[in-house]
Amino acid sequence: MIPTQYYLLLSAAVFCIGIFGVLTRRNALIFLMSVELILNAANINLVAFSFQYGNLSGQVFALFAMGLAAAEVAVGLGIVLVLYRNFSDIDVTEATTMRW
Amino acid sequence: MTAFDYAPAIALLPFVSFLVALFGGQYLPKKGALAGIAATAGSLVLSAWVALTVAGGQTYNEALYTFTAGLETFDLHLGILIDPLTALMLLIVSFIALLVHVFSLGYMNDEGETGLPRYYAGLGLFTASMLGFVYADNILMAFMFFELVGLCSYLLIGFNFREAGPPSAAKKAFLVTRFGDYFFLIGVVGIFVTFAGATQTPGLFAGEGSFPVVAEHAIVDGATEGLNTFGFEPQTWFTILGLLVLGGVMGKSAQFPLHTWLPDAMEGPTPVSALIHAATMVAAGVYLVARMYGFYALTPTTLAVIALVGGFTALFAATMGVVKQELKQVLAYSTISQYGYMMLALGSGGYIAAVFHLTTHAVFKALLFLGAGAVIIAMHHEENMWEMGGLKDKMPVTYYTFLAGSLALAGIVPFAGFWSKDEVLYEALIHGFGTEGGLGTVFLVAYAMGLLAVFFTGFYTFRMVYLTFHGEARTETAKKPHGVRWNVKGPLAVLGILATTIGFVNLAPVKKLTGLEVDFLHKWLLGAEGSGWEALLTGYEHYEHVLHDGPAHVLVGEPLGATGTLIASALLSLGLAVAGVLAARSLYKVPEPVEHTDKLGSIKTLLMHNYYQDEYQVWLATGFTYPLSRAADKFDQGVIDGVVNGISSVSLFSGSRVRRLQTGVVTNYALFITIALVVLLVVFGLTGGWF
Amino acid sequence: MVQLPTWTALSPTLLLGLTAIVLLLVDSIDPDSSNNELLAGVAGLGSIAAAATSVWFIVAGTGLPAENGELISLFDDQLVVDQMALFFSFLVASVLTLVVVASYDYMADKARQAKYYSLTVMAATGMSLLGSANGLAVAFVALELASLPSYALVAILKTNKGSVEAALKYFLVGALSSGVFLYGISLVYGATGSLQFDAVAAALTDGVPAGILGIGVLMIVGGVAFKTASVPFHFWAPEAYEGAPAPISAFLSSASKAAGFVLAFRVFATALMGDAVLAVVDWVLVFQVLAIVTMFVGNFAAATQENVKRMLAYSSVGHAGYVLIGLAALTGGSSDAYVLGSGMMHLLVYGFMNTGAFLFIALVEYWDIGRTFEDYNGLATQAPLACAAMTVFLFSLAGLPIGGGFFSKFNLLMATVRSGTWFLGAALIVNSALSLYYYTRVVKAMWIEEPASGLEIERYPIGLYTAVLVAALVTVLLLPGFDAVSQTAETAASLL
Repeated sequence: MIPTQYYLLLSAAVFCIGIFGVLTRRNALIFLMSVELILNAANINLVAFSFQYGNLSGQVFALFAMGLAAAEVAVGLGIVLVLYRNFSDIDVTEATTMRW
Repeated sequence: MTAFDYAPAIALLPFVSFLVALFGGQYLPKKGALAGIAATAGSLVLSAWVALTVAGGQTYNEALYTFTAGLETFDLHLGILIDPLTALMLLIVSFIALLVHVFSLGYMNDEGETGLPRYYAGLGLFTASMLGFVYADNILMAFMFFELVGLCSYLLIGFNFREAGPPSAAKKAFLVTRFGDYFFLIGVVGIFVTFAGATQTPGLFAGEGSFPVVAEHAIVDGATEGLNTFGFEPQTWFTILGLLVLGGVMGKSAQFPLHTWLPDAMEGPTPVSALIHAATMVAAGVYLVARMYGFYALTPTTLAVIALVGGFTALFAATMGVVKQELKQVLAYSTISQYGYMMLALGSGGYIAAVFHLTTHAVFKALLFLGAGAVIIAMHHEENMWEMGGLKDKMPVTYYTFLAGSLALAGIVPFAGFWSKDEVLYEALIHGFGTEGGLGTVFLVAYAMGLLAVFFTGFYTFRMVYLTFHGEARTETAKKPHGVRWNVKGPLAVLGILATTIGFVNLAPVKKLTGLEVDFLHKWLLGAEGSGWEALLTGYEHYEHVLHDGPAHVLVGEPLGATGTLIASALLSLGLAVAGVLAARSLYKVPEPVEHTDKLGSIKTLLMHNYYQDEYQVWLATGFTYPLSRAADKFDQGVIDGVVNGISSVSLFSGSRVRRLQTGVVTNYALFITIALVVLLVVFGLTGGWF
Repeated sequence: MVQLPTWTALSPTLLLGLTAIVLLLVDSIDPDSSNNELLAGVAGLGSIAAAATSVWFIVAGTGLPAENGELISLFDDQLVVDQMALFFSFLVASVLTLVVVASYDYMADKARQAKYYSLTVMAATGMSLLGSANGLAVAFVALELASLPSYALVAILKTNKGSVEAALKYFLVGALSSGVFLYGISLVYGATGSLQFDAVAAALTDGVPAGILGIGVLMIVGGVAFKTASVPFHFWAPEAYEGAPAPISAFLSSASKAAGFVLAFRVFATALMGDAVLAVVDWVLVFQVLAIVTMFVGNFAAATQENVKRMLAYSSVGHAGYVLIGLAALTGGSSDAYVLGSGMMHLLVYGFMNTGAFLFIALVEYWDIGRTFEDYNGLATQAPLACAAMTVFLFSLAGLPIGGGFFSKFNLLMATVRSGTWFLGAALIVNSALSLYYYTRVVKAMWIEEPASGLEIERYPIGLYTAVLVAALVTVLLLPGFDAVSQTAETAASLL
């Protein structure tokens, strides 16, 4: 059996990749994908810990999280769409009419 | 129902007349005068009833309305204290106020003055405040009404606010008395702080637990438990408190050096001057000393200060009265001088003499002012005595009543002023001889000044009488004076009779010589055992005991024997008074009098300028206070505002920096969030020992 | 008297959810409906019913422990209905009512009204549900239920650049934050093996893996900080509040913030309140730092704004800092109920005064007279009643004794005194003083400055006016009626 620590390391790596993507990518879609990575890192944890503790609440919650992630993406894509219509671009650093 | 249940109405009635005149005066036939007359008449009737009840041996000392209840400590309340002193003063105030209201019908209504509702509203509030002050049962309430009295005098002195003089005089009266009241306020707070630990009722004037009585226990019996004297000896601290309260007294009673407002206050309508001088504003100061006499009697230093200030003011003001040219100015300085006598009496242990003089003075000074008012009406508001003359035959009622008042003021036997002034001087003399050490000497010095002032009083009084009424008419106006009606003559007649006779209420010298029991006022104020009010501890018997057995050790000494001293003192003061009158007669009772003041040389200039009192006080304001204020202003503008402005500009500057954090670029936000999270993780990871 | 079934205790939330579904149904039948009487009417009725039910339950003591000491809990302890849940249901529902009434005019000529109302009520459902959440899983679901409609609501004006940009920023920061939050939850689950609050608290003994728990707790703090617009997760707030339609700004800055705080109160005061946790990660200290930084950042940035709406947005950040005192002043001692309660009180009062202030902005946007302080010059000559209401809001926000804000701030200050966290109290005072400055700028502009020439208002929309005036009335009435609020809040806090 693979020790839980390995899963933790994996999820931490995925989380960090997600954060890295969020910080460096200006494309709104890639930003969204990076956020998905973060959410899925959490899901890995939930499932792994659920397996370790032998209770199902973590796994069930992971399913909920996936559903919510999908919903989030749906809303996100809608916003990206109107972003494109208004700013003719999906570069997240373009929309800076409000600041300070 | 006893009279005491109606006692609040004594002050409330004039207050109602104030409201009526203020809001309904426009629509009333006499613009509020009738409401005022009715109210003061009602107060007078109630006061008389109260006085009768007090004569029956009852007194009253109750809290009526508590506006701040203290938890396990004193509370602040309005209440009523009625003892013989209060009853007497209530009678005087409501009586004079009634006469002034009636007189105002002639002086204001008949002369077609405008703004009468405001005038009668002011009179009503003035009377109400004074009455409230008189029967206040605690020093805080006394202070509140004391201030109201000051406010009303401001409003009334400045009644003709469209002219140049009155507003300025009103401001001066307000500011100078306020300067004194400032000390009074500190004194009030000091009294509460000092006595709060020792008694539940530190503010009261009378009864066990009142501050004079607690102070007496502290000094005479050494019961200092619970007192907060700020590290001083109780006697030293009580002296300080007494002097602080005395500041308010000196302002209101126009004692040197805070007397300067009073001559200027002559800018107010003459009936108001009568009210201020006889019964309200100026009387309030002396009355306050009498009210808390048990406290002052404890500390020799304050007694000495009071006596000296009184004696000096009596002489000082009398000399200035000698050269004045305007009728009301002479009267103003005579008021200052006469209140000096009262202070002299209080300071030298002559409590009854002071109250006696307060009573007689109220009558004859009201008479003189109303008489002066009648003359002013007749002279078409001309006040300079050199423009008058020969009015004797044209207005006999005014003349004879005015003469009665003048004889009383000059202290000619048997008019009222003689008896009271003689008693004041006699008490000062015998206590001066009897009391050991510096205090006795002080009394004698004060006595000497008071005695000397008698001469000047006689002189300026009759200079005024001769110039105004005798000789030839010096102007056209004086030849054809304006007539006056019953509403002027009536009050004058009443007061004229009283000025002649009121002295008989306390013929103490006659009693001493003949043994007849004719010293009614003395008995009235004694508060001896069985009088029904010895428990209040505000009777003269108690004060005498305090004066004798307290630190002051005021004793009686009669160098020429009892009868000899009495007669010598009386003859001396009467002789000086007569000499003053005769001197005035020789100079001014001629058909065409001329000014003799030039003979005084440089002293004339000094007197005309009132010893440069106004000048040095103005210098104090402009030469000292003003630069100080400017420095304070500089400090405020520069340092305080600088700091405040600095803080605000630093805040705004940092605000403008902080908002730059919000770059508008969402990637930056993600970066900031990540950095903040990482910092938190590292810091708390290290401190929490996660690794 | 009929004993209602236990599940009815959830009625306020259920009513909101039902209303949302009805509105969604209307939307699917007639997507382009602009029948705003019907839509606002349904939404308004639903929200009023929810608020009224909450009050009824609070008064009836539904949220108090039964005789056996048990609180009403549902779905295997995943939801709990106590006074705090009802308190926040009431808060959310009343803010929603005001917003819906104001939207009747604000949205009158705009497209997609049915979607607007159903999303608003749906977000409110999520916020109300968050108050009942008794486990991390439900909390996350409820949080997302509140957040996702909010993103869409901010973007509802599809052709308005500000609205879209605001939605983008709100969404991106929100997505990142919910990712962090979820990751935190997964770590806490890893440390305890449970998601239900009481079970988490029971599992947190001395033997827990420190690193995992610590990182998890800090990430949960992050998720909470996002929802409450606290530093450093506040970056979305100024833009989202400025760009969104003003009623939505009002809704987000009042109700959504309150929902974030009720989550924080539950998670930290129930699940993570224990010496074992505090030894690993002193989250009270974290909140103390966040509270102070949030107060200063919010208020200082607000001080120099030119745009009134953005100023209010920053002030909303500052107020999050004040309410954080409710967590930062916890000591584990006897003052805790009062400390938490004072945070709740401020949220309720804030719900009315801040909503009112943003709805006044909505009114100004409706009149289309500009957004800066100068544009407000002399507004009182045209609309004295509304300006008077706005003055009440602003002074109450500053903590002057004109509205309930005075007492709620006073209670926060007393909370810092009682718990001995004087530095929080000092920061509260300094920032309140500063806030008075920028609130007064608006008042000065409205009442004292001369109006620009041609400033004329022709329409006085009844819905917006009603909402603003009712909010002002409640704000003022909370001054004499504060006792009821404070007692309910303290009782609710003591039950945790």
